[in-house]
Amino acid sequence: MEERRYRSASGAPIALRCRQHSASCRELAVRCPRLQLRSLSAVTSAVWLAAYGLFVLSENSMVLSAAIFITLIGLIIYLHFVKIDQESLLVIGSLGIQVTSSYASGKESTTFIEMSQVKDVVINEAIYMQKVIYYLCILLQDPGDPQAVSEVVPLFQSSMPRLDCLIEVYKSCQEILEHRKTVPQSS
Amino acid sequence: ENSPAPLPERAIYGFALFLGSWFGFMLYLIWAYVPEAWLFSLGLTYWPQKYWAVALPAYLLVAIGIGYILLFGINMMSTAPLNSTHTITDNYAKKQQQKKFQEEAIPALRDIPISEVNRMFFLPEK
Repeated sequence: MEERRYRSASGAPIALRCRQHSASCRELAVRCPRLQLRSLSAVTSAVWLAAYGLFVLSENSMVLSAAIFITLIGLIIYLHFVKIDQESLLVIGSLGIQVTSSYASGKESTTFIEMSQVKDVVINEAIYMQKVIYYLCILLQDPGDPQAVSEVVPLFQSSMPRLDCLIEVYKSCQEILEHRKTVPQSS
Repeated sequence: ENSPAPLPERAIYGFALFLGSWFGFMLYLIWAYVPEAWLFSLGLTYWPQKYWAVALPAYLLVAIGIGYILLFGINMMSTAPLNSTHTITDNYAKKQQQKKFQEEAIPALRDIPISEVNRMFFLPEK
């Protein structure tokens, strides 16, 4: 179980942790950068200064209390619904792939894709907001038509690792996915 | 037959356009600056309101400015999202036919599936 440091697409430091539970089970977790104190203070000061400016103009002290409420509730909503702390990928060779996102407030949301639906895990490059980025994605296949790709599930959308980190994750996943072709599936 | 070289017909078209655009510009200036009373005394009563002599250029400039932003926005909207299959394949690649492999010939051009490309790039085999 080692942890290696990489950078995200925007330059923020992220860490990749790779755990091998057994020969056909691996967990890869990418930890996103934590909420910075300076950005939190900057946003809070901006909101409170704007509220104070409004208070000076309107002489209504409710503006100040409203600003405090907005800041607190906004921070809670941000931590619970927006700020992702860690994204992890659990690949079990014969069973499937589980994708977990843990938010800063402790909430975890998981998605499980069973192995018969997984066609491959690839590094794709696409245009994203005036940039071209590499991202890891799971290609899903229709059980009736194994040649065609029915859906694309992008992974690590919040941490956005760069290519060097993606190559490590890709190699790990491919080692497990190779074995499932040699072992016959029992339906 | 479609060369961009100068021809007598093209010279005539160009000169006609040049005269026409000068005439149009002079007409616009007359319409915008000559007072209505003088135009009425000449008998030209059914011309549009002079308001439009200012309004149309204003509309045109604002439309050009918005056009820059609109084009940018349309481009961003028609970019395929990260979870769409259009980033990986399209109709032509799905229906392509495989040509037979011939010895000593350059292989035919085809769209290589992304799994194969990934293996070649990222899994170095000794």
